[in-house]
Amino acid sequence: MKEKYIQIIGISVAVVYGVFIVFLYAAEPRSIGDISTKARSTIETAATKGQVIAGTYEVDPVKFADGLKAFNVDNFIAARDLFERADPEKRDAKTQFYIAYSYYRQGWGRVSNDDALFKLGLETLDRVIAIDRDFRSDDAGLTLRTPAELRHEFEEGLKVTADDFNPLRLVRERK
Amino acid sequence: MTSTELSSKNDVMLDETPITGELVAVDGRPIVSTDARAASRQKSCLLYLVLPLIFLTVTLLGGLRLNGVDSSLIFLPPSLFCLIAATVLMILFFRAGLIRLDGWFSESFDLVKNAANASVLVTMFAASTQLFNSLLPERGLPLWVIGFCFFWTLWNNLFSNFDTKRLLKSLGALFGLAFVVKYIVLANLTAPAGESWLRSILENPVRETATYVLDLPRFSAGTGYLQFFAVTLFLLGLFLLPPSTRISDPNE
Repeated sequence: MKEKYIQIIGISVAVVYGVFIVFLYAAEPRSIGDISTKARSTIETAATKGQVIAGTYEVDPVKFADGLKAFNVDNFIAARDLFERADPEKRDAKTQFYIAYSYYRQGWGRVSNDDALFKLGLETLDRVIAIDRDFRSDDAGLTLRTPAELRHEFEEGLKVTADDFNPLRLVRERK
Repeated sequence: MTSTELSSKNDVMLDETPITGELVAVDGRPIVSTDARAASRQKSCLLYLVLPLIFLTVTLLGGLRLNGVDSSLIFLPPSLFCLIAATVLMILFFRAGLIRLDGWFSESFDLVKNAANASVLVTMFAASTQLFNSLLPERGLPLWVIGFCFFWTLWNNLFSNFDTKRLLKSLGALFGLAFVVKYIVLANLTAPAGESWLRSILENPVRETATYVLDLPRFSAGTGYLQFFAVTLFLLGLFLLPPSTRISDPNE
């Protein structure tokens, strides 16, 4: 074999081995078996990033549909998990709006709201506005169709006002 | 090719004087024997395949620790100090002649050879960094003390007159001592992991106190074996490293 071929093989082997070492230190697998799991998730992340760079990024329609089903039966934790897996790069306004809405519906209470969930909802809503300022949902099942309306509900829910002690609040409905 | 077509470059044809020099054909091209070619190929394989593999294995193992509780893998990236120490070590290699810059990079080499040589030296730098990561304690007072000793020794060596053999001996002793301190002395001062605080205090009061005071991490005993392998491989890599990659280098 020519010396040049040995040198080229040497460079290639060093690069491949080096990349593997960098991957191990970045992914930090806890066991040998964990390496393949971490490798799969790293490849999936890299593929998604590649799609974003190439401009071909799309939400996974199957996971989104499953997430919507879970959302409509008030299984908000499962719904959020599916929506997040459908849009791992958090680039789709519609999916992010459903995630924010799921925080609202889960955190809403007839007597009091869950402030922690409402704050998370507000953070997600900021993402929706950053992606699409003029976003409007086409889902007839949602009473609050725009980020502005949903934001108002979140902010009102987080405030403590005299209205909070109005007994008529007990008959109000979740939107 | 017949013998009449051959001539000696040095033209030495005296009766009692052995003929030396390179055999060349009539058109001036050197005639390389099969043995010489095989030896050259072997040298290339060692330099461009075996050495990077050795150094990269050291790079892989240098930051690897095994958890004291469940022996799971822990990958510790090198600290900034490791990078600085490795840089000083590389300068030391050049100063002592373990690596001769003009023997590794030259305008007379083709691009692939220069790139291949650079890749070997990059793997060597990575291995040096990870070796310091392996030998330096992870945190606490021992990190500062041993780190200072390392830096003091390397800094002094930088201004000493070294030949290659002495440098290798000195580094062997330095790394060997650091290994003994970290993986034998400090490891034996560390209380075993996975035991309750009360039981640990009752059974091993001295070790528990030393672990607390010196902030010693609790790794599995297998870590020492892995790091012994890493240090040995690194020293083997240094031993196999030629000072120059020129085939006809008289100093090689």
